[in-house]
Amino acid sequence: MGSTTGRGPRLLAIATAAVLAVGVSACSSGKSDQGAAAPAGGSGGEAAKSGGSFSYWSMWRKDEPQAKVIQAAIDQFTADTGIKVDVEWTGRDVAKKIGPAMAANKAPDMWDQGADSIYGTAAQNGNAQDLSAVLGMTIPNDNVKVSDAIPSKYWDSLPKDPKGGQHWVIPYEASTAGVFYNAADPDVSAAMTSAPTDWDGFIKVCDALKAKNKPCVASEGEDSWTNGLWFDYLVNANGVNFADLADDKTGASWDNPAVLKAAQQTEQLVKGGYIIPTYTATKYPAQQTNWAGGKAGFLMNGNWVTAEVAKQIPATWKYGFLLPPGASQPDSMVFGFALTKNAKNVAQAEKFMAYFLQKKTLSGISTDAGNITPRTDIPAPAELTDVQKTLGADKLRLTFDGVAGDWSTKVWNQNFLDFWHGKTDAAGFVAKMKSSQVSFWKTQS
Amino acid sequence: MSTATIQDPSRTRRVRGGSAARGPVGAAPLERSRRRMFWAFTAPAVVVYAVLFLLPVGYAAWTSLYKWDGISEKKWKGLGNYRILWQDPIFRHSLGNTLKTLLVGGVITFVIAFALMLVLREMNRRLFARSVLFFPCLVNAMVFGIAAGVLFSPDGPVNQVLKWLGWSHPPQWLATEHLQTMILGTLVWTATGYYTAILMAAVDQIPEYLYEAAELDGANAYQRFRHVTLPMCWEVISVCAVLWTVSSVKVFELILMYGGSSGAQPPSDSWNTALYVYEEAFPQASTPQLGLATAAALVSLFLVVIFTVVLRRLLRRDPIEY
Repeated sequence: MGSTTGRGPRLLAIATAAVLAVGVSACSSGKSDQGAAAPAGGSGGEAAKSGGSFSYWSMWRKDEPQAKVIQAAIDQFTADTGIKVDVEWTGRDVAKKIGPAMAANKAPDMWDQGADSIYGTAAQNGNAQDLSAVLGMTIPNDNVKVSDAIPSKYWDSLPKDPKGGQHWVIPYEASTAGVFYNAADPDVSAAMTSAPTDWDGFIKVCDALKAKNKPCVASEGEDSWTNGLWFDYLVNANGVNFADLADDKTGASWDNPAVLKAAQQTEQLVKGGYIIPTYTATKYPAQQTNWAGGKAGFLMNGNWVTAEVAKQIPATWKYGFLLPPGASQPDSMVFGFALTKNAKNVAQAEKFMAYFLQKKTLSGISTDAGNITPRTDIPAPAELTDVQKTLGADKLRLTFDGVAGDWSTKVWNQNFLDFWHGKTDAAGFVAKMKSSQVSFWKTQS
Repeated sequence: MSTATIQDPSRTRRVRGGSAARGPVGAAPLERSRRRMFWAFTAPAVVVYAVLFLLPVGYAAWTSLYKWDGISEKKWKGLGNYRILWQDPIFRHSLGNTLKTLLVGGVITFVIAFALMLVLREMNRRLFARSVLFFPCLVNAMVFGIAAGVLFSPDGPVNQVLKWLGWSHPPQWLATEHLQTMILGTLVWTATGYYTAILMAAVDQIPEYLYEAAELDGANAYQRFRHVTLPMCWEVISVCAVLWTVSSVKVFELILMYGGSSGAQPPSDSWNTALYVYEEAFPQASTPQLGLATAAALVSLFLVVIFTVVLRRLLRRDPIEY
């Protein structure tokens, strides 16, 4: 899985968050030997053992497959280059810890997270270093430049830091979100003989499933992020950029009829009774498990969901993936490495970034962790082949068009959940979003 | 309950109608040497208190006048952060939730605790009963958050029992609109045992003959509670009320556990001021607003101080000695 704001296997993340409530732990930053900086762009095994070290806080917990892939790469990296990596498997809360750590000058040299977290926490305030140098480095053994191995669209879709740069992250995992289903489910295949081309077509599929007493959509009712993706995609399908919608301090953006239309389309799922019953009254991952057990047709989520339910689905399961009809661009979320503002061992950390992107190393993200890499020459796991194809689009757009953080917390979460739970109708939701957004921006001076 | 008997100290002298004025300097050698030693003994505690408590509060007050993300330069904002809090509907709602917890939760907790005092004093195996009542407060709030997902799910054990008892459509406990109630319920459940334990310790000190006398005078159980237990425990009750005030304002992990099960923040309708402070100081994908967070924390502190002072005044009674 990959979770930026904590989606994914999350219970431990919550536990950690609660512990964090007591206070930011006195996070120890690895002692950084001020060793001689390694020459940038070494060429693999032949690179001189330049020594030195750097410290790294990871978004993964030690028991997660991504951590195992990265740990193996670190071991090999140290053996090849002599550079030691002082790693701490911090988990998702690294995004919360990194700011205070930077303030206290106790931050590591390198950390990783979803790009939205890295941007919101650090890059937007100029607290993430420019990594353009890494793009020019040669990936060891593969003898290809980083900028050639990773398509530039992954950076082009990112927001700019105060200096106008977009290279504040080096992505090693790519993902998108969309509607997943089991193509081998006879109910689903009977209801959907071909992929619907418009929203009404999708509602017809839902009707057909409903006629068979099968809920169309599974939903973790408490989660405004995954459920909100329906609205995000639909509002984009109606020609509205989500970021423009959220950034308007006057709130007038919500008066656009296209926004109301997207809300009404979303409302069809709620009012039509297409969502799995009891969705408002369960906790993650109850409904995801129901979906994996064939109790509902479709699930909107990030593509990490396939890795999450891997042990629950029957052997006959065949993954299907579609975007909400009308949406043309898949959304994109990348996870990658960043450097903290005052990182000292920049050269060593940058060398590792390029090292990790080696085909044989990075493949572990696909083969062991069941996720997609940004390298097009590394095939995605079989169940994500379709998803990787959609990520092959020329242009990508960020999930929620890059809107995250405070606005989501204070404007979106509560209002969208009220709407998704049927407490407000489409017009009421739009009105509430508008007024909350106006209040929000007033407090952001 | 017994109060320590001190040789006519100045405080009790005042209560007993004696002169509040200090005795002449050098009135008694013991008094004089006591006064001399006062600062020598108090200074370490005062220093620790100042360094660990007053200084941080002062620093927070200073920070609250700035816009600061903890990393970049501080920007002077004057009372701007307090103005934002005043305007922010989410903070006002959070404040409302804090007060709701304090007042509604407090009333329910103490009504139940008093009822338990009434019963526990006279029941057999009361030590065992007390242990059972006290137990929930030993359990970490995180356990409740996780257990609630299982216990209160639509087909979970709680609803199974309710259905078995004939309730065909039991409530959807975990729905967001019930979040507040669930949090309050858990809080009351854990706090009741805690306060009952403290109150019962006070009740145990009340001499039995007072109850016997009341019984001989024809007092029923409630009257014995009203005229013997309550007045004799008053000082402890007043301390408990202050403890509740302080702890209810700090409730935090329960909200996070119940509301944030997907790792995201709990919906803002369930926030209290403590969670507001947390969300401003440790946001997930945005810049920390430490000025705003400290301003909100100071408003919370102010709230606690006001409530504590008012409560102490309202609950002040002359100590009863026996």
